[in-house]
Amino acid sequence: MVLCALLLLGFTLVEIADVLCRNLRRPWLNANEFAAGFFVWGVFLGMGVAVRRDQHFRLTALAETMRGARRTLVETFNRLVILGVALSMVFFGYRNYLNGFGSFLMPSLTPIAVLYAAIPVAGGLIALFTVEELVNGWRHGFEGTGKALTDPSHLPIT
Amino acid sequence: MDTNSIAIIVMIVTFLYLGYQGVPVAFALMAGALVTTAFFTKISLPSIVGQMFNGVNQLEFLAIPFFLLAGDMMTQANITARLIRFAQALVGHLRSGLAHVVSISSMLFAGISGSMTADVAAISTVVMPHMEEEGYDPAFSAALVASASTIAAMVPPSIMAIVYGAVGNVSIAGLFLGGATPGLMVGVGLMVYSYLFGPPGMRKRRPTFGELMGATRPALLPLMIPIIIVGGVASGVFTPAEAGMIAVVYIIVVLLPLMARGHFRRLPRDFMEAAVLYSLPMSAVASASAVGWLMAYLGAPDIVHGWIESVSGDNRVVIMYLMVVVLTIAGDFLDGVPAIAIFMPIIISLSQLGHIHPVHMGVLIIVSLAFGLITPPYGLILLLSSTLAGVSFARALRQAVPLYCVYFLVISVIIFFPNVVLWLPRLILPTSVGCFPSPSGSGYICPP
Repeated sequence: MVLCALLLLGFTLVEIADVLCRNLRRPWLNANEFAAGFFVWGVFLGMGVAVRRDQHFRLTALAETMRGARRTLVETFNRLVILGVALSMVFFGYRNYLNGFGSFLMPSLTPIAVLYAAIPVAGGLIALFTVEELVNGWRHGFEGTGKALTDPSHLPIT
Repeated sequence: MDTNSIAIIVMIVTFLYLGYQGVPVAFALMAGALVTTAFFTKISLPSIVGQMFNGVNQLEFLAIPFFLLAGDMMTQANITARLIRFAQALVGHLRSGLAHVVSISSMLFAGISGSMTADVAAISTVVMPHMEEEGYDPAFSAALVASASTIAAMVPPSIMAIVYGAVGNVSIAGLFLGGATPGLMVGVGLMVYSYLFGPPGMRKRRPTFGELMGATRPALLPLMIPIIIVGGVASGVFTPAEAGMIAVVYIIVVLLPLMARGHFRRLPRDFMEAAVLYSLPMSAVASASAVGWLMAYLGAPDIVHGWIESVSGDNRVVIMYLMVVVLTIAGDFLDGVPAIAIFMPIIISLSQLGHIHPVHMGVLIIVSLAFGLITPPYGLILLLSSTLAGVSFARALRQAVPLYCVYFLVISVIIFFPNVVLWLPRLILPTSVGCFPSPSGSGYICPP
């Protein structure tokens, strides 16, 4: 979470520097590359953090109305789906990352792989946090793990 | 039924099944896309995962974190309360005074954060307790707060407008300016409804000029934020992202030292919260982009295009009403941001069929999606406000139904009178709606 905040701070500073340089008639040509880098990494690392904090938007909180074995079954199934998507992000994202060395960001000619790398890294984090939730859930039960759907801090930005 | 149609149905059913099972939307969407790709297409799976990256790697999106950070800082530093006091001084003495305060406050706060959720949370906690003291039915308060908060989706700096502009390659400045009039119409419509049919509340005396000035002065500096954002973007001096950044800098350098010095200690926490908050809609956009791209590959826009064309021909009005129905239903089940990314290929195709101006269509889509968030079976924003008001969703819904008239009216006005949307962009930033300078050197020539 601290890393996400630092990325947002970095991104803010890059935008400030970009506007200042432009107004001083010395445009900073790489500003957009840096801003896009901070932004993309922030999005995908934030995606992982949101899994840990159980903050992602859900259509229903069906599982939270259940108890006992049924709840364990549904919660396990849901997390296995997340785990599957996360592992796809790791595996296929890594292949994109390798391909990314053939394309370049302009004007610095940095391989676009530096941005593509955010997806497998995020996938790894999501997989890690999901396994942690699964193990904790199996050991201590899933009751109390879900956040109230209507808590403002756990709603999507609409 | 051909393979592509089956693939589209499998993708939608997978998403809905997983979504209603409780899998987060971003992952349910991605799971649907991966399953469909693996079993029904020859597309490589890395390219589907790569679409997640392409979905968020757009410079226009850089504005979103700044607006969320600005809204969060304003709420946490309690500066929002000054806007509400200002609204109270303006309209609090009228019949249904507090109901008007909700509408005005929503319009003011919407101009800062662009987020409906932030709006509901900020207004509910400050105004709802007073409404209850004055005898307002909490269900009515919940319905009104939810309805008024949808203004945030329409007026600048609407997050939906940023996403729509980025995904659909439409001028964001044009959408900002075009959405201002419908947002104002919804706000005024809710005030008129409350005045005529709402609970009377406690009548208060009209504030004296001194009292009015006393409430205006503390609100003046926060009210500069919408002016900075709209003025900067509309004048072409800043991009939306730069305008958002300047709003954040303005809050940190001007507002906090003057109004909430103690809040500086909490700034790192604001950054941390905003950093996670902006990743939530963006991760949904990343997955929705993969789904939207796959939908386009499978020919979904052509299927829907053919279906709507068979009903409407190229009648602009019928096409737009059908889109309102489709997107209001979509807004019931999906957050507006991913819905835009999923439906964009279809929207573009139908805009071309009906020769509809992209900014006109964009504003209509945004209003429809916002409306979907307060309609059953799953109006997310109404659900949030009903919980904050401590009433059941069903009770809040009963109070919200009459308020839908305001939306029907606004949507119909938008459809029948495109200039309601287009007049302001044409007046302030003509190039944002496709106008070009007249060769004679005076004025602009605009497409019909």
